[in-house]
Amino acid sequence: MLQVIELKKSFGGKPVVKGVSFSVDKGEAFGLLGPNGAGKSTTISMICGLLKIDGGDVRVNGLSIKKDPMAVKRKIGIVPQDIALYPTMTAKENLVFWGKMYGLKGREAKAKADRVLADVGLSDRANDKIETFSGGMKRRINIGAALMHDPELLIMDEPTVGIDPQSRNHILETVKRLNEQGMTVIYTSHYMEEVEFLCERIAIIDHGEVIALGTKTELCNRLAGGTVIQLKVDPIKERFIQRLKTMEAVANVKIVEEDRIEVFATRADAALSQIVALSLEHRVQLLSLNVKEPNLEALFLQLTGRSLRD
Amino acid sequence: MKCLTIAWKDFMIRFKDRRGFMLMILMPLILTFILGSALGGVMGEDATVFPKTNLGIVWKDDDPLARQFIRDVLQSRDLKPYIHIKMADSREALEEHIREGSIDAAIVFPNGWSRDLNNGKLKGLTILADPGKSLQSDILQTLSQTFMDRAETTAVSTKTVLSVAVDSGPEQMAGLSQEVADELKQAAQQQWHAVEEKSVGQKPVSGMQYYAAAMAAMFLLFNMMNGAKSFIHERETQTLARLFSTPTEKISILIGKFLGTLYFAVAQFLIFMLATRFLFGVNWGDNALQTLSVGAAFAIAVSGLSMFIASVIHTEKTADVVGGIGVQILALLGGSMVPLTLFPDMLRQIAHIAPNTWALTSLVDIMGGTAWSALALPIGVLAGIGAAAVTIGTWRLQAR
Repeated sequence: MLQVIELKKSFGGKPVVKGVSFSVDKGEAFGLLGPNGAGKSTTISMICGLLKIDGGDVRVNGLSIKKDPMAVKRKIGIVPQDIALYPTMTAKENLVFWGKMYGLKGREAKAKADRVLADVGLSDRANDKIETFSGGMKRRINIGAALMHDPELLIMDEPTVGIDPQSRNHILETVKRLNEQGMTVIYTSHYMEEVEFLCERIAIIDHGEVIALGTKTELCNRLAGGTVIQLKVDPIKERFIQRLKTMEAVANVKIVEEDRIEVFATRADAALSQIVALSLEHRVQLLSLNVKEPNLEALFLQLTGRSLRD
Repeated sequence: MKCLTIAWKDFMIRFKDRRGFMLMILMPLILTFILGSALGGVMGEDATVFPKTNLGIVWKDDDPLARQFIRDVLQSRDLKPYIHIKMADSREALEEHIREGSIDAAIVFPNGWSRDLNNGKLKGLTILADPGKSLQSDILQTLSQTFMDRAETTAVSTKTVLSVAVDSGPEQMAGLSQEVADELKQAAQQQWHAVEEKSVGQKPVSGMQYYAAAMAAMFLLFNMMNGAKSFIHERETQTLARLFSTPTEKISILIGKFLGTLYFAVAQFLIFMLATRFLFGVNWGDNALQTLSVGAAFAIAVSGLSMFIASVIHTEKTADVVGGIGVQILALLGGSMVPLTLFPDMLRQIAHIAPNTWALTSLVDIMGGTAWSALALPIGVLAGIGAAAVTIGTWRLQAR
């Protein structure tokens, strides 16, 4: 369905996207995960034909965005990061307008707008102006506008930024349903849990490069010390930390606060018993102990030394 | 045609905007009413084709040419209702009457005025007028000069033709001379109509009329900034980026933005025209097509300029500042506040750099009555400004 081939982009001589490559199969939900400024939106803008490509190519069903941009654009529905709607127009007027921009005719566009409004759960607000909507409702119409022409590929650029949990859940459920109905989805976010919920395969982007790509299981398996054991201790003793680091089942140890330690374990069960024994030996009181299963956040941390939300 | 969809969307957004409606429609109506009512006298309000005039005449020797001038011109069918003639014995008596206010202006015919006609050079008439009645004085000057020019031309021509005819043989002379004299006489009589047509705006333009045209010219200017701001706003809110992500050619989007401003400017002009016509009784002239043509050309100019401004200004805030100051300067320079006729000559020439000057003078000319040929230049200039600005603006925006 989509092939992104060695995509490159620079701004003012500074490379922002440095040869990003990945492919997405038809009907797949693909996640682009990375912190702010990683190059996700620039990559998306090039896929949509909004930004000129400096190097590489994007192909949708074999059509090159460079050679046949209009044909490619017809197949794509883009949900931008910002609310790209006209606030003084009603929800329905907005949808009809964007439908027409994708070639729908008057009556057809109106009928489709009614269906989309039902899909995003806002039929009862069809004739209200966008400026009267909450942030979450605006986001839903923002998505609806991208669905007007039944795109083969739906690209969503951080569609849940700054909204309430209820609207966020609604959006995630809507995207899940569309994907289950056969729509190919590319979902970019720096919210790991959203990408994990929606996407089968995930590319992690940082500093304009794909640093990891695969299914969630494949990625987590790459984690050395994938299980994180969070400890609250009293007191933190240097020798205790040093001994933890030398344990066979432990990959790394990190002091996160005055009394908090994160232990990255390769084998959680073995590490736990050793930690308890070591704390008794060093007379360190274990105030709390929490085990976190391997996740993409941990993988990103391991790969970059930074949090996804940094 | 996606450009039409974009244009209609822009038009409806602006049309439904209550604040915009207030600024673009109600405000010029209110200002027209205030300025037109307050400054009506300045514009010669309630004047007719010729202001009612008590005219004193000194005509001592029953000169035939003077008689003809009085009969065929001053007391012609067209002017008789407006000119009341009062005979006097001397220039001094006329001056006294003017001082008393019993007459507005006066003509003193020289003794034996027509004697010099055969030489082809008439003595000039003396025209006296109350200093406050310069309009009557100017018109009398024009009427007399025109009459004298024609009389001189007719006399000289007749003399020349007759001398030629004498050479052609006595048997043809009588018929030929009669024929030529008749034709020249006819030409001389037609001259009066030529004078009437020559004076641009012989129909006086009232203060309300002038300020209706002035406010139309001024408030249509706001479309330059509103159009540019609409473009910048779309860029800032990412709707422009979203438009570019649709399968729509860039040029189509840019033309759509231009047309959106054009639609609104034309609608604004039409609404304003109709509102002033029916609310204040403003007569926009006898030829509505002329008025609409000038309005359309001006709308093209401001819409084109909006695209140019959008290509050089990057933020709405800058557009607001530049627009506010720019419109005020253009409005002042273009005669929307103070009539252009009160400007010094040099400033009047400089004013032609403002598109609203061309629009305002044309609209006022149409109100007074003008020919299409006189409108060709302003319409051409306005359409040319619009075409050049939209071309440069679109080219610059497309290159981004």
